[in-house]
Amino acid sequence: MYAQSLSWLLLAPFLLSLAAFAMRWAGKRSIWLAELIHLVSITAVLLLSMHVVQGVLAQGSISALNDWLHVDALAAVFVTIVGVVGFLVGVYALGYIRHDLSSGVLQPQQVTLFYGLLNLFLFTMLLVVVSNNIIMMWVAVEATTLGSAFLVGIYGQRASLEAAWKYVIICTVGVAFGLYGTILVYSDAVHFMKEPGMAILWTQIVENAQALDPTILKLAFVFVMIGFGTKAGIFPMHAWLPDAHSEAPSPVSALLSGVLLKCALFVVIRFAIILSRGIGAEFPHLILLIFGALSVTVSTLFMFVQRDLKRLLAYSSVENIGLIVLALGVGGPLGVLAGLMHAVNHSLVKSLMFLTSGNILMKYHTRDLGKIHGMLQAAPLTSLLLLAGGLALAGSPPFNIFISKFSIFSAGMQSGHIWLMLVCLAFLAVAFAALLRVISSSLFGQAPDEMAAGEVQPLTLAPIAVLLVLAITLGLYLPPQIALLLNQAAGIALPPGSVASAPGALLNWLVLP
Amino acid sequence: MLNANLINSLSGLLILSSLLVIETRKLRISAIYYSVQSLVLVVIFLALAVSMHAEQLYLWAASAFITKAILVPYIIYRAQQYTGGEDVPTAIKPTLSIVLAAVSLVVSFVVINQLELKIAAGFKPALAVSVAHFFFGQLCILTQRNLLKQVMGFCLMENGSHLTLALMAYDAPELVEIGIATDAIFGVLIMAVLAVQIYRKLNTLDAASLTTLKG
Repeated sequence: MYAQSLSWLLLAPFLLSLAAFAMRWAGKRSIWLAELIHLVSITAVLLLSMHVVQGVLAQGSISALNDWLHVDALAAVFVTIVGVVGFLVGVYALGYIRHDLSSGVLQPQQVTLFYGLLNLFLFTMLLVVVSNNIIMMWVAVEATTLGSAFLVGIYGQRASLEAAWKYVIICTVGVAFGLYGTILVYSDAVHFMKEPGMAILWTQIVENAQALDPTILKLAFVFVMIGFGTKAGIFPMHAWLPDAHSEAPSPVSALLSGVLLKCALFVVIRFAIILSRGIGAEFPHLILLIFGALSVTVSTLFMFVQRDLKRLLAYSSVENIGLIVLALGVGGPLGVLAGLMHAVNHSLVKSLMFLTSGNILMKYHTRDLGKIHGMLQAAPLTSLLLLAGGLALAGSPPFNIFISKFSIFSAGMQSGHIWLMLVCLAFLAVAFAALLRVISSSLFGQAPDEMAAGEVQPLTLAPIAVLLVLAITLGLYLPPQIALLLNQAAGIALPPGSVASAPGALLNWLVLP
Repeated sequence: MLNANLINSLSGLLILSSLLVIETRKLRISAIYYSVQSLVLVVIFLALAVSMHAEQLYLWAASAFITKAILVPYIIYRAQQYTGGEDVPTAIKPTLSIVLAAVSLVVSFVVINQLELKIAAGFKPALAVSVAHFFFGQLCILTQRNLLKQVMGFCLMENGSHLTLALMAYDAPELVEIGIATDAIFGVLIMAVLAVQIYRKLNTLDAASLTTLKG
């Protein structure tokens, strides 16, 4: 039953995206029909993903299609991210795209294209996280780029086309390195497996990781880190990210930052697990620590000098991906758990912030922070969302990011990386300052004279509010199912045996209000 | 062994043809060279299929023939018709780019020779060529300012990684090959459409004019 849900989780958005493309020829009702198909698709993705996660909680893992699809607790965490954030962003897109259409930024034909591509994009991201076949996983990551390239460039302006071009070129070149990493692991594994078909499955490779050649594994991991790290927005391969995230329509920015980066990171985690089982965790940890610390430090400086709201948010994504990578590099039960929690928390808060930036864009018609003032009078509800989201992103209590950031630094201190953690904390203060400045300069001051008070598209407020409720809830209380899922996920990422003693202690620490 | 020699020497032809693809100024001619190169790749796939008794590679050869020898050159040809065959200068001199290509070839040979591979051991020269070819593609993307030429660079990269796959992962299930071929052809299509859109907006294919976004 669960296996069927897993297959449908992929089939539904794929088939419905084709249907949305076809609405181009549906005449007068085409937009209305495309919206309906989109709504059915994102609802199906939400419900099916929840059912799959429920199945993982009930029976440990779910496989389908000859083990080519496999969802364990680790994948389930990312399926949850795609399902929940995908749904809320999808609902938001309905209001946002209607506004774009009525203001003439988009043509009716582009709207059907948009919904087709958006659901195709969701399908490719889901395929990344449920693939057990490592080469198919690569194919899916490459497909995410292809599926989202036109979404980035959909406005057809000089800047958006330029961003789309850079996105496609940098990501396809980068991700091609990932293919070499994948081939190296496969071709080494194919030797001692009974059938070649088994050497391609992550579950089989992990079980036999100790038979893999250590040199090849290390080389492969470097390729994987460069390849999928490009897609995950890790410094210094992040060059496409600020352009694509700022030029894309805001719901697409929310998906790129909130969901796509995590999916690419998921592949890195899968390979890091193979290495830690095969040759021990020292090598992957070292690589992850270096890239994580570099991403955090450099991106916060870029955040501080940005004058464009969405570019600032984009660099903040590099920072937060860096924090997750840093946590995984620290390792140990607390480090891995904190990293996974931060992945979930950042997805919620960053999509919240990008959607809010969309509302600001609808009201002010600019992303220039020098021109966005007086939001408290001009758009009171949106300004409250910006205030809460900005504080959450900066890592202040009572929001969820506070908990995961705190856990990351506790884990780092406990494992003896005291200086590294202190340096990173200092840079986080820079990010904090950058975000506070955004909040204070946007909320206060004088709104443009001709601007009437009120929200542009009330429909777009609800999904952001839901994201905010989720961010506060997870900041105050970790529901037992989520705690259990994260705990099992950390168990998969850690060497066997090390988690046995950990769950109780960690759960106590995390569930405490 | 004769077959291994054949495969290794055919892969040498790939190097020659990709230099022609990179250095030819006229896109139309460049696309024809690419088509020829893809035919060489198809022959290599067929030879590998015979020598390794790998039935799957016949399918690879067939799909490479359709997508790489016919469809990709056709897409490039149509895209250059839309854009009027503009002559865009390159970022570096051809002599320098040939030197860089030679360097990447030598590095690939040295690295591959040091790896202890259990698979494709008799095809190390071909393997080194495939890796070098992958870097040629990147070189093309970095040194060519014509957007459509950068698309050809992506195609060269794909040919390189495809040969690596055929040498090291020839026994992977067919569906994997179908997935990779689909990605490759859609990749070219999407890049070509974007290049045409950029040409219509900016009236040039020169990557040096993409300078709106910085910082």
